[in-house]
Amino acid sequence: MKKEVDLRGLVCPEPVLRTKKLLDDKSVVCIEALVETEVNVKNLERLARSQKVSMSSAPEGEHFRVTIERNGEGAQKEPAPSPGSHAHGQGASQTQTGVGTVVFLGKDYFGQGDESFSRNLLDVFLQTMLDSGHLPRAILMANTGVKLLARDSSCRKVLADFKEAGCDVLACGLCVDFYGLKDDIDKDDITNMFAICEYMMTADKVLSP
Amino acid sequence: MSQAPDIDSKKLTANIKAGGCAAKLGSSELASLLGGLSGKGDERLIAGIEHFEDAAVYKISEDLAIIQTVDFFPPLLDDPYTFGQIAAANALSDVYAMGGKPVFALNIVCFPTCDFPLSVLKKILEGGADKVKEAGASLAGGHSLEASEPVYGLSVTGLVHPSEMLTNGGASPGDVLILTKPIGTGVGLLGLKGEQLEAGAGSDLVSSLTELNDVALSVARRFKINAATDVTGFGLAGHVREMAKASGLVAEIDTCSIEYLPGVVELASQGFVPAGAYGNRQSFSDFVSYIKEVDLAYQDLLFDPQTSGGLLLAVGEEQSRELLQALKAEGLRASIAGCLIEGDNPGRVKVF
Repeated sequence: MKKEVDLRGLVCPEPVLRTKKLLDDKSVVCIEALVETEVNVKNLERLARSQKVSMSSAPEGEHFRVTIERNGEGAQKEPAPSPGSHAHGQGASQTQTGVGTVVFLGKDYFGQGDESFSRNLLDVFLQTMLDSGHLPRAILMANTGVKLLARDSSCRKVLADFKEAGCDVLACGLCVDFYGLKDDIDKDDITNMFAICEYMMTADKVLSP
Repeated sequence: MSQAPDIDSKKLTANIKAGGCAAKLGSSELASLLGGLSGKGDERLIAGIEHFEDAAVYKISEDLAIIQTVDFFPPLLDDPYTFGQIAAANALSDVYAMGGKPVFALNIVCFPTCDFPLSVLKKILEGGADKVKEAGASLAGGHSLEASEPVYGLSVTGLVHPSEMLTNGGASPGDVLILTKPIGTGVGLLGLKGEQLEAGAGSDLVSSLTELNDVALSVARRFKINAATDVTGFGLAGHVREMAKASGLVAEIDTCSIEYLPGVVELASQGFVPAGAYGNRQSFSDFVSYIKEVDLAYQDLLFDPQTSGGLLLAVGEEQSRELLQALKAEGLRASIAGCLIEGDNPGRVKVF
């Protein structure tokens, strides 16, 4: 079904709102609209992109004619900007979980140097990553890295914050046993070498500070 | 017999093309209008048109300076009391952005008495008066006109110790930029008007719009703030650019670390973008570059004109995390917006 609408003289966001309502009706496959301003055109371009329909426009006298067409079967509504094609994750939550980046902590310090300074630096690194909003898919801990989840570790809170933000925070079971930390660490946070390999092999990027 | 308009049920925003700070004249238009107007310099005017400061500041003595600012706009939502609250919070904000304390305010009113009952105006004025009272200041009068479209705002007078004045300039290389409120009010208000926001998101939007920046300033005072402004009509990108230019530095904005109002990213991606955002984009496009692919919705939100926005604070990196946590501890949805660095062509903004 084709719909023709005159959206001239309507105050924002009416032009977008009415067009969106028309597109919600899946039987509408083509919309021809007259709009008043370039701003209207640009807003409808954005709407068309988000609804995964095509749009063309051309000036017509003092106004613009916009043509929106639904292409083929199953033209789905595009979700809020996705990480695959753009730089950001789900729009709904403010911090975006990047698909494909995994952080591997194989030791409980950051870089080489003075022991206490290096341990504190790891805390600073994790806190900075959390504040930046660039969240990894998962944080994996192995060997002395599992000590970061110990009851007396200064990193325990920031790792809990990562978990709350949607990041998988996991410690290798073998290592947890070896260092006697079974009682300290939540059962849900313990994983095995197989899962650790899976995460690392399928990740786009593995960071190992 | 002709029918009288049903003035009791007419919406405050009916026929308003753009409300709030989205109604303001654009940056480039203003620049061309204001150029050459300020005349002979008075050295006691220690902040003004130069460097796009938020308010005028006039030094009375070594210990005291007066801050003066004015802000008004058409309605941006239909409830008159809330409109009054938002317009007042917006006007008061410029005093906080200069580091001062508001002391009194004057109303500025335009009202079409043929289109709306006077009870609507009364509610607008009550909203404004209550907000001025909340700020600890007094409403001392004002001026009103019969006009074709409702407009409301305030002229606000504040006080500050000259050495405690905060300006746009004065940021140091390496300073972190901290934002004290989430962004997206222009987009959010369009969504609210079109009934596209869920109830929770709608009330978060209104809370953010009516919130004073007094708490944000008092927390900031516990730290060494190098530069400050509030984020309003030019959008975050525009105000960051002003701060960078005034401080002689280059800005980096991180779109991932900024807090956005609930629902606005999706609304922006669907085209609920106010005309002012396109205006800001045009005004500032020469100075903004994208370091990585940034989704259009996030770009639009950077240029989205903010009404009653938060403070933008430049603080040394070593204090930045503590300041952020201190703001959050007061219930503020603060976030890191980016940083300022040395570089060629100061006033440039690099967007990540």
